[in-house]
Amino acid sequence: MPENSVLIVDADPGARETAVWLKGSGFRVASAATGEEALNLIDNQDFSVMLLDLRLPGKHGLGVLREARVKRPWMQTIVTTDHPSVESATEALRQGAVDYLVKPVSPQDMATLLKDTIKSAARQRPAAIQIKAKAAPTKLVPQASFVISRDSLKRMVDTLAGEREAIGVVARQGKYVYDRVEGFEDVTLDYDVTVNPPTAFLIPTCETILKYRMGHSPEITPITDTTPRVLIGVHPDDINAINLLDEVFMTNNPDPNYTARRENTLIIGVDVITPQPASFAPSMGAHTAETGYDLLLTDIGNAGYMVTVGSETGAETLARLAQVREPTPAETARQKQLRDEALSKYRLFLDMPRDKIPNLLETNYDNPYWLARSEACLNCGSCIMVCPTCFCFDVQDDVSLNMVDGERIRKPDGCMLVDFSRVAAGANFRGDKLSRFRHRMYHKGKYILDRYGKYGCVGCGRCSITCLAEIASPLEAYNAIAASEKTRDKARRTVTNTRPQPELYLPHLATIEKVTPLSPREKLFEFRLNDGNKLGHRPGQFVEVYVFGIGESPISLTSSPTRDHTFEVAVRNVGNVTGALHRLEPGATVGIRGPFGNGFPLEEMEGKDILFIAGGIGIFPLRSLIQYVLDRRDAYGHINLLFGARSPAERVFADDMQEWSQAPDVTFLETVDRSDDSWTGNVGVITTLIPKVQFDPRNTVAIVVGPPIMYRFVINELKKRDLADDNIIVSLERKMKCGVGKCGNCQINNVYVCQEGPVFPMTRLRTLREAI
Amino acid sequence: MKPRVAFFDFTGCEGCQLDALNLEPDELLGLLGAVDIVNFREVRTDRSDEYDIAFIEGSITRESEIARLKEIRERAAVLVALGACACTGGINCMKNAYETEELLKGVYGDCAAYYDTIPTRPADAVVKVDAYIRGCPPTTTEFVKVVKSLLLGKKADLPNYPVCTECRRAGNICVFQRGGTCIGPVTRAGCDALCVSAGRFCWGCRGLVDDPNLDSEKDILARYGLTIDQILEHFRIYNSCTEATQCQK
Repeated sequence: MPENSVLIVDADPGARETAVWLKGSGFRVASAATGEEALNLIDNQDFSVMLLDLRLPGKHGLGVLREARVKRPWMQTIVTTDHPSVESATEALRQGAVDYLVKPVSPQDMATLLKDTIKSAARQRPAAIQIKAKAAPTKLVPQASFVISRDSLKRMVDTLAGEREAIGVVARQGKYVYDRVEGFEDVTLDYDVTVNPPTAFLIPTCETILKYRMGHSPEITPITDTTPRVLIGVHPDDINAINLLDEVFMTNNPDPNYTARRENTLIIGVDVITPQPASFAPSMGAHTAETGYDLLLTDIGNAGYMVTVGSETGAETLARLAQVREPTPAETARQKQLRDEALSKYRLFLDMPRDKIPNLLETNYDNPYWLARSEACLNCGSCIMVCPTCFCFDVQDDVSLNMVDGERIRKPDGCMLVDFSRVAAGANFRGDKLSRFRHRMYHKGKYILDRYGKYGCVGCGRCSITCLAEIASPLEAYNAIAASEKTRDKARRTVTNTRPQPELYLPHLATIEKVTPLSPREKLFEFRLNDGNKLGHRPGQFVEVYVFGIGESPISLTSSPTRDHTFEVAVRNVGNVTGALHRLEPGATVGIRGPFGNGFPLEEMEGKDILFIAGGIGIFPLRSLIQYVLDRRDAYGHINLLFGARSPAERVFADDMQEWSQAPDVTFLETVDRSDDSWTGNVGVITTLIPKVQFDPRNTVAIVVGPPIMYRFVINELKKRDLADDNIIVSLERKMKCGVGKCGNCQINNVYVCQEGPVFPMTRLRTLREAI
Repeated sequence: MKPRVAFFDFTGCEGCQLDALNLEPDELLGLLGAVDIVNFREVRTDRSDEYDIAFIEGSITRESEIARLKEIRERAAVLVALGACACTGGINCMKNAYETEELLKGVYGDCAAYYDTIPTRPADAVVKVDAYIRGCPPTTTEFVKVVKSLLLGKKADLPNYPVCTECRRAGNICVFQRGGTCIGPVTRAGCDALCVSAGRFCWGCRGLVDDPNLDSEKDILARYGLTIDQILEHFRIYNSCTEATQCQK
């Protein structure tokens, strides 16, 4: 690259004449009369400095500056103008100009200025080039650190704020919050903790995931937010929280909305100088961050900041917008000293190594502490709303007043709120303060760890600061529980696909082929996918049925994939979605997502005798399996089929039952809890049927599906008949909202029912408290 | 045929009706496209007794209002309580803390005998209410949300968690952390923590959540320096009609 090469961009021929003078002072000079001409020259030739006039024909000077910075990040630009204004000066500096001169400037002064500029650029250049060299071969730059002056940092941040939506820490009412900022002057880099977490900008409080237009053939458009953003001043504990969210949302069913937002977010971290007294980040290993940031700053005093490069994007940003140099050994030592000093300021610690927490929780599920402390809980949700690692959400449907256009939105939700685990007919699987309070503590210290390999708490202290009842601190909870230690089951953690599936939340359109009333409250719907494809499900799986404008509901598949190109679901009218579905008629279009869940273990059941036990509408999911087994009759042994209904009027699928009872090698028994005049069969709860059937416990698989209350009694009865847990399979109900293991509504401890369930062997449930 | 909608006012300031009119222009036009408004004192003089959806505004404070509300209930397919007074009794309920006779004398003196008044009650203490649009006044977004839900035949998805949840979502600094006190922790959300976001505290205008932890809230208020009387005063502004507060008298 030619040293001392200057490009003069000016429409005024007189100004371009300066070239002659500069050549005499030892510069190599080229000139351009328009912005386009200048950019062409820059494409083909490198220059040390550009002298750029703001008023140009065609492209404005600032536009030329912006494009030139992208093409040649190293070129220093001095803006010259004879129409100076505060606005253009600010903008020029924000765009990365090193100086702003008001004409006329004497050729001698100009030569001196150019020499100084070139000299200082040359000093900073080698370090920066080194970054680029390191960035090229590997994805991550290994922790290279440089020194950046306050001025250069300011220019970099100001330029970024011009290019992207900038979010930084600002002081407000004696506290700190993340908010929109215009530039470096707005931002605070020395703060203890923010009220809201930076993750609120990755999982916003209200986010549209799709838009639709109803009508004869509904249109669905996925919405993702790709706004370029920069988060400025993120503490290492929050960076660790973001790393967890990346794990949750970007592996196993990668979430298109989070991924789009995350990939367009630049993260500039900053080391903590003064920790918040409630913080215990070091105990969670979260006071430093190895990855997850693009750049990380440490305030080293007069020299400015140490800046550590964490990613290729970080390296490119630095190369493009900043001037950095290699740190001196003293500066490197100073950084370490500052970090050590900050570490010594933390006041709260776990009384045990953090890897003891999961065992501690494992053995203390019934510890009276949970009940005692949860009494004061207000269920106000403050703890989960300020938490940087909380990620569960709710999905709602919002239709316009024209009743044609609408959108699906999601907003943060979570386990501390009363309605989070409430299902359609009103049952609530975490209906008391104790179970909610305990779930959160287990989630932070065990369940998330089991599932994602990272703790669900980074020790930021926000929850304990915000909790008025003063019960929210996980540190306090874990410390308060004395416990013996046992080996914990390491939950299986398999990572499959890692590319986001844009269609993850998009329903496929399906048409109602047929509606058959089953009872006053229940109907059977037959659907056909509009794209002509088969659903491709297994018995025991479910789909999310979406009625536009109303919402989505998880519904078990009722028909066997061996039966038809269409599929059936039976639906009881209990809520908004099921009610709306009941009002639809053949020809209507709905949305279908799925099939979801694991389904029954068809292969493991082969060659065995099967004992089906269905209570009430438990027959809905079971019907798909019964049909499947009967269609592949030779693969399975003797079949016992027990069905119980509350009353004769609530019996459904009478025709099917007639067919089943006449199939070869099938014993069919039926009962009702309460009889009436029309009934001549068995009366009594379903457990009374079990002693009436013969089966060999060593070669029989029992499939049990029914209301929650039924399981405990039926399972006890089966155990009396020596059936092992391995051979008892159940299907569980929970509030399944997203269907893909993200929103958190359906979780039992660390298990997501929509993914690992709804079908479970009893062996799995033995270790899964809160399941039955 | 579009659903016919009527608005009726009982005891209250009528602000909720004004607020319903305070919609963004395209929302208002959308609303007028979706329904026929047949009775709305604030905007039109002609009236009809033929309606499908009735919005009830204000609380019930006179014997004559009971009869009128029952008649409206008879005619309407859907009856919606609009605003704090209709939903929970609102600030009118403050009078329930006093003996009626004493109160009338205090306010009207010698003319007390001319006034017919009974302890204040919300609409659902008199008739069955199908939907609630809470708040003093309700937010226009929630008004629109409930109307849309009615038109779609679904139950509106309204929060049953405390204001704190929305307050934290809004990124607000907690009132208690700013040295004040607030009954947001037991008050039903849905307002996006409007008052706190504007620098005040939560007055509890949307009523209590389904299962409020009043003991804990009282402990907290006491810890932040309030006496029992001050605590009750806090609760009574909007929640004197609720059983939970009355039993503390």
